[in-house]
Amino acid sequence: MSKKQAGFYIDAQRCIGCYSCAMACKNQYHQEPGVHWRYVYPLKEEIYPHRERAWMSLACNHCEHPTCLEVCPVEAYYKREKDGVVVHEQEKCIGCQNCIRSCPYGAPRFNPARHQAEKCSMCYQRLDAGLKPACVQGCPTYALQFIEDMASFDQSGKVQYLAGFPRFPELNPSVRFRPPREPREVRR
Amino acid sequence: MVFTDFSLVVFSTLAQLAVGLTVMAALQPRAAGESGEVKLKVEWVTAGLILAAALMASMFHLGHPSGSPRALVHLSTSWLSREILAFGCFGGVLVLAFLTLWKNSGGSSLLIRLTAAVGLAALLVSGMVYAPPSFPALNNGVPVLFFLLTAFILGSAFGAYFVGAERQGLLVKVLATSLVVGLVVNLILPSIWLSGGTVARMTGANFYGSWLYWLRIAGEFVVPLAVLGAWKKIPAWLPILLLLGEAAGRIMFLNSVVHTATNLGGLY
Amino acid sequence: MAPIDRKFIERALASPVTRRKFLQGLLVSGALASMPGGLLKAVTSEAGITYEGKYQVFRNACPRNCYDTCSIKTYVKDGVVQFIEGAPESTFTAGALCVKGFSYWRRAYSPDRIKYPMVQQGRGSGNWKRVSWDEAMTRIAKKILEIKKKDDSLLGLGLTKYSGNFGITNYGVEGMMSSLGYTTRFVGTPCWPAGIDAQNYDLGNMWCNDPEDFVHARYAILWGANPAWCSVHTMKFIYEAQERGAKLVVVDPVFSQTAAKADEYWRPNTGQDGALALGMCRHILDKGMYDKEFVTQHAVGFEEFAEYLRREVTVEWAAQKSGIPAQDIAKVAEEFATAKPATIWIGYGLQRHVNGGAMVRAIDALVAMTGNVGKVGGGARYGHLYTWGFNYHALIQKQPEGSKGYVGATGPMGEFDTGQGAKAAKYSDRAVNINQTARMILETNDPPVRMLWVSCKNPFSQDFDLTMLKKAFKKLEMVVVVDQFYNQTVEQADIVLPVTTLLEEWTQNVSYWHYWMSLNEQAIKPMFESKSNIEIAALLSAKMNQLSPGSCTFSPKLNSKKWMEMEFNKGIYDLFGIKSWQDLRKGPVKAKLASSAAWHDYKFKTPSGKYEFKSDLCKEHGHQALPEYLANRKPYAPYRLLTPHSKFNIHSQFQNLDWMAEFNPEPFVYINPKLAAKKGIADGSLVKLSSKVGEMQIKAKLTDNVAPDTLLMYEGWFNKNPYNVQNMVDDTSADMGKWKTGAPGVAIHDQFCDVNPA
Repeated sequence: MSKKQAGFYIDAQRCIGCYSCAMACKNQYHQEPGVHWRYVYPLKEEIYPHRERAWMSLACNHCEHPTCLEVCPVEAYYKREKDGVVVHEQEKCIGCQNCIRSCPYGAPRFNPARHQAEKCSMCYQRLDAGLKPACVQGCPTYALQFIEDMASFDQSGKVQYLAGFPRFPELNPSVRFRPPREPREVRR
Repeated sequence: MVFTDFSLVVFSTLAQLAVGLTVMAALQPRAAGESGEVKLKVEWVTAGLILAAALMASMFHLGHPSGSPRALVHLSTSWLSREILAFGCFGGVLVLAFLTLWKNSGGSSLLIRLTAAVGLAALLVSGMVYAPPSFPALNNGVPVLFFLLTAFILGSAFGAYFVGAERQGLLVKVLATSLVVGLVVNLILPSIWLSGGTVARMTGANFYGSWLYWLRIAGEFVVPLAVLGAWKKIPAWLPILLLLGEAAGRIMFLNSVVHTATNLGGLY
Repeated sequence: MAPIDRKFIERALASPVTRRKFLQGLLVSGALASMPGGLLKAVTSEAGITYEGKYQVFRNACPRNCYDTCSIKTYVKDGVVQFIEGAPESTFTAGALCVKGFSYWRRAYSPDRIKYPMVQQGRGSGNWKRVSWDEAMTRIAKKILEIKKKDDSLLGLGLTKYSGNFGITNYGVEGMMSSLGYTTRFVGTPCWPAGIDAQNYDLGNMWCNDPEDFVHARYAILWGANPAWCSVHTMKFIYEAQERGAKLVVVDPVFSQTAAKADEYWRPNTGQDGALALGMCRHILDKGMYDKEFVTQHAVGFEEFAEYLRREVTVEWAAQKSGIPAQDIAKVAEEFATAKPATIWIGYGLQRHVNGGAMVRAIDALVAMTGNVGKVGGGARYGHLYTWGFNYHALIQKQPEGSKGYVGATGPMGEFDTGQGAKAAKYSDRAVNINQTARMILETNDPPVRMLWVSCKNPFSQDFDLTMLKKAFKKLEMVVVVDQFYNQTVEQADIVLPVTTLLEEWTQNVSYWHYWMSLNEQAIKPMFESKSNIEIAALLSAKMNQLSPGSCTFSPKLNSKKWMEMEFNKGIYDLFGIKSWQDLRKGPVKAKLASSAAWHDYKFKTPSGKYEFKSDLCKEHGHQALPEYLANRKPYAPYRLLTPHSKFNIHSQFQNLDWMAEFNPEPFVYINPKLAAKKGIADGSLVKLSSKVGEMQIKAKLTDNVAPDTLLMYEGWFNKNPYNVQNMVDDTSADMGKWKTGAPGVAIHDQFCDVNPA
């Protein structure tokens, strides 16, 4: 287990749901209209009592055991040795959409122009150039952070399965969250 | 997430019908002599053609059909690769059985039974493709159960075309049993989903809340069972009705079962 | 992404015709997208763009009307922008933009852009015809000359321009008008005028601490400010203050995104913030917790203020007015008075009331009496123009010889009027209230406003009382709009001129909040036939002089880069510690401040030179000398209607982009579930709003983020959607603003309406 596993830290207490991360991704990759690799999901009122005031920014979770990789019939997915980033090689993809159906986190998306799947690559080319993923750099509140190695990440006060994020231990998604707080309220 | 891909409906329903036909052919005692043999050959050819149509339909599901041969490369973990292999084998033994049948050479009955067995195995594999973790309602044996029911309902119903009216007894029994099981499964399953997690609950509500679901219960199960009970035989129009019912069921299977990602941000 | 795409793109980009092809592709996709029916929907197939390295880097700056005024780094390859990012050199922008900033790629390359000068046969008809720049300018110049001949002045030519592009050279639009003669100007600001006057009465200027010094605050009240949406880059400093132990209180009629990050959230009755602040002042006074040294040494009128508080204000009264329990008012007042330093951020929404200026003065007083003015990490933060000392060379143009104009008293022409224009002349421009565009067009005569030039502004989305505005536009003989998209104002234009985006023009930008300055380079050639505002002015000048020599003084020769250079001066260079504007090519620079605290030397710019709890000037201008309580507007319909900013747009900009619509596809009216239950309104159902101004139908979204007596809609312009909040609001003025900005503000949050199921 000396291999590293990169991941995302989503600090829902800092997150303001500004969608900068999601748009930073579009700015970097110019996805087809309607396709986004990262999205900011509001936590529903049963989790945070005020509508659209707490958020969860999600892209691909670069799981330790990725379903997409497992189900892809043409081996269009591979997991990088050096950092565990799950990469989709679009030129191999035959557009069967099995990954899209099978990923419980909805990470792979269908590109209607190319008739192929695509998903967050954790900006591995940027990582290789010594840069942060575009979404992480684009977060104005440092709520979205890059975890270089899950193993050495300080887990105190953090959870892997925030309420609102489905639990799939067998996949072991490479994300950690800090839950949002609520203020004391004085309302008329 | 909505999959309105009709090609998958056609592929899976027809492929299961083909398997069903071979299974029934293997089970069905034939009238001795020429007529029984001809009917078996016609049935077998029909099963082959239906399978071919199913495989053709599956190509329309692909964004890049020309890459489909490469879909066999990931047998190590991909149930979809295995499904393609399984249906390939099914088609292979089907053709082999046909050749022996045609030449009237020995061993054809063995090959027919082998084809049916490979077909059933292909259904099991196929069921695994449709049981990913993203669909909590299906991440279990349900797809396999559904696919077997389709094979037995359609196989026994369509099989009736290929045997004499006087020899339908077994097919009627298989069909009636399959329909009773299918009715019970389809009535109860949404309740089981409703007692599960949020996403399974959403699926259960989708089913009970759908007019298509109730139409199918009535049209594919209640009415045919009444017909079978009354007439004790399979009228020529019944297989078509059942096929429509199965297609409706498959549309719901592909469209109304809720994906976990639809509820991101909600309680699971 | 996929190597195959990379190779393809590399090959494509290596070709000299890449940019042209890229542009043609955009044109085709735009043309297809504009055709009816989904079958022909364009597929641009841009996927495959990936991070490649070895880009050409340009400096840009977001010129929108936003606190954050982000410094941008633009990555270009073969003449095509690949992506942009926040400039990492700025500790404020710190590498990140916002959802709007990150959409600039799509904005520049949007197939929906106005590509050529266009003439509309019949306003609102959509019957547009492409014309050449020469043809457009000929039509415009002829009309101007016709007006001049008819009226013997150009007062019939009106300009309405505001905050669509705050790049300094864009003041060349005003300059263009001056260079033609004396014209009618829509002056003032819908944004922040009442608060500007209030701060000027109290402190002698509007000047705020460096937002980066928020980290030093021990206590912060964000009062009617929602930085989580409107100043996302400030949040990190506020978070750091919290992490260092500061308490954050958010006061807002809406449970805003910022409120969700607070330690304590107050929802007072809207427009009762003055009473709330005065109640806190009274409690602090009673407890003797005020800063005795500050109020005696550095302020005047505190005794009178204290006397007023004792006479007229109690905590219970404040509780009754505001709806915030007395014990909470007392507790936070004590905490605020004892935490050192403590700060209040006064949001602009707070002063968009008939009593807005008075409320800002009450909050100023609370900060001042606790000794927090002039303190690092303290201060009554509102905004500043400290770094805006450019030459305004493009702005200040001479009228042609013999021009005639308005005779009479004039005031400032907006908050950025530096007063450097010649005011001793016999004539002046005719100033009318920008916050009453419709009323001013209808009521101004002798001569009437015959022709309106609209630039950096979208009156049909942003100006108040749309019904009246539609009527007013009928009075105009010609409407020229300079814009990038076919918005609701362009729909009502006769001629539209395509203007460049930030990526296609030279200018410079500073903020009214932070202290950074950025260069804005031309990163790509202007798309299609778009031109910058300054190039348009030059073109019009050339045409005017061709048709009537000497009729326009604007230089037709200078290019936009030269205009940009001419805005700099030694004062700016010294303030920012640079030798030349070229230094900005290395990245944005921050003003060299003696302290991060505004008023750190207590040298106030008031007549007394001290903080003025009692301002005689304020009284002279028709207000109260003391920051006394002023009643709010009387409701004219059952529910209050708030129409604040959304996070997905700056006023009418950005929301129209398809990229933005992916994240925010449609507008809603936000209704409290209690009110919805009473009215039988279900979540997602269609409702009808009606007021004395107008009515509209819209889907409801139920949320307790708004109070049961309040309805909320976010302003903005959605592409191909008639949604417009200005259908529902009138143009009632705020109390203050005339002194410093030329016109009073607008009471945009004192609006009311009814709601029922549709």
